[in-house]
Amino acid sequence: MDWLEFSRGPMFQVALLVFILGMVYRFLRVILMGWKKDYAPPRGSAAAGVVKTYVKGLGFLPFLPPKFPGTRHRPLTYIAGGMFHLGLFVVIFLSTPHVEAWRSVLGFGWPTAPTPLVDGFAAMAMIGMIILLSNRIVSPVGRMLTGLGEWLNWIVVFLPLLTGWVTYHHLFGMPYETLFTIHMLTVDWLLIWIPFSRISHFMTYFITRTVHGARFGRLGVEP
Amino acid sequence: MTEKTIYESMVERGLSRRDFLKLATLMTAALGLEYSQLPKVVHAMESKPRLPVIWLEFQDCAGCSEALTRSHDPYLTKLLFNDISVDYHETLFAAAGKQAEENKEKIMDEYEGQFVLVVEGSIPTKDNGVYCTIGGRSAIDLLEEAASKAMAIISVGTCASYGGLPHANPNPTGAVGVHDLVKDKPIIHVPGCPPIPEVITNTIAHVVLLGEIPELDSLGRPKAFYGQTVHDRCPRRPFYERGQFAESYDDAGAKAGWCLYKLGCKGPTTYSACATIKWNEGVSFPVQSNHPCLGCTEPDFWDGGGFYKSLAAPPGAEAARGAQAGFASLGGAALAVGSALYAKKVKQKAAEEFKAQKKKEA
Ligand code: SF4
Ligand code: SF4
Repeated sequence: MDWLEFSRGPMFQVALLVFILGMVYRFLRVILMGWKKDYAPPRGSAAAGVVKTYVKGLGFLPFLPPKFPGTRHRPLTYIAGGMFHLGLFVVIFLSTPHVEAWRSVLGFGWPTAPTPLVDGFAAMAMIGMIILLSNRIVSPVGRMLTGLGEWLNWIVVFLPLLTGWVTYHHLFGMPYETLFTIHMLTVDWLLIWIPFSRISHFMTYFITRTVHGARFGRLGVEP
Repeated sequence: MTEKTIYESMVERGLSRRDFLKLATLMTAALGLEYSQLPKVVHAMESKPRLPVIWLEFQDCAGCSEALTRSHDPYLTKLLFNDISVDYHETLFAAAGKQAEENKEKIMDEYEGQFVLVVEGSIPTKDNGVYCTIGGRSAIDLLEEAASKAMAIISVGTCASYGGLPHANPNPTGAVGVHDLVKDKPIIHVPGCPPIPEVITNTIAHVVLLGEIPELDSLGRPKAFYGQTVHDRCPRRPFYERGQFAESYDDAGAKAGWCLYKLGCKGPTTYSACATIKWNEGVSFPVQSNHPCLGCTEPDFWDGGGFYKSLAAPPGAEAARGAQAGFASLGGAALAVGSALYAKKVKQKAAEEFKAQKKKEA
């Protein structure tokens, strides 16, 4: 077995299992621990609160110019963060090789976006990440808030993006298999890393949103 | 068998000096050498006695020999059979049985350290090599004897190079390639299932004519023919770059010549001259004929996870992966339940202690 087969085969499988085990654990643990009961009489609908928070969080705020409290003070983080998340989403879920990988893992696939479009989003994600990193390095507060784990998070997410790009376009004259192997190893590393890191917010975000939306809705407050 | 040079044997066959030079020029091009190397080729053909070639077949389908006979390079093929001459070939020779074997032994002794050994097929090593025997001797035995006396070895086909189909999981005969057994001789790999005929003839001609090993890549393949991937020179490449992929073999995309990546093409990881030399007198090659590249020049291509599965799909059995994922989820769930219960207990205890403390104070 060569390195490429190793990185795509057994290593990927191990990484996938660690990822699944870790994420199921994190998800169920939070839910099972439960929340304090709210004994106050409801002043609004919890469900409506949940709907509202998602409309705002996913569908509305990301596309508005930063005029709102919380965003207007940090427009750079807001915009770069948006660029990164949207770009990453397109790369992971709409690029052809990734949909083929999903098809193999899930058993079904979906239509893909044209390569130049995916390229654009990938570039956007990487530029967003570079802005965010520079911001963290330049700002003293950013530096203070950033622990070793956060710096590593950046590297662990940036490397698959970069190596994937280089692989797909055969850049730097390196053999395709070498690039592909490096890409797969960085992906394996990312999968293993996620459950232990804050990158797991791709899932916990939804728990938080749901719970807060429901609570606020019940209290009759705008979530 | 004589000590004649190639030039001399050609003159004997009635060819003129002019014919000879023409052939030498074609040879130079065919070997992938620069034009400036022509004098070297001429000199070699004039001065060096031809090296005999012995062609052994082990665990194989004779497809590589089949391919060789379909070579469309008439000069090279003629040269190979008339002037270089393959002195022993198990499948292509009329002579068979004891006599042919004896002749082989004679050549090997007479030209010890000078002949070129071509091997086709893998060598089964399990159970003392009983799965492939010729004249009562195992392939391991035959290979060891021939290899010890050869000047160099050319492994023709993926089986001889890396074990090939017999080596594929679960490899019931313990099949291996030549380089797994022979460690002390230069070995050239000419993989392919089968290799392109011209690549076989050109590689043999290179060694036999010039008496030297061509430049090889890290897997022992001549760089002149295995220096680029199928994908590097693929006519469908512009569609790959644009992200236009055929979804099935007969959709509009496939008909318009779109890229076959989604249909399982292994072109990006496969080093072969398929897209340039092509097959059947340069008519076409698999990808041009609307079939994905299987990756036949690469080690373990049979075990690469499925010919029709995209290169991006991780190899391995899907059912097993699903089952393991199920267990991983269950494991995660069990851990979560356990740790949540424990955490709740700790909380409860703390609350009770707090209450007791308060009572005491009161
Ligand atoms: S058909 Fe295969 S070799 Fe040709 S461009 Fe597509 S992936 Fe590459
Ligand atoms: S296209 Fe690929 S699988 Fe087909 S003969 Fe060429 S290298 Fe082998």
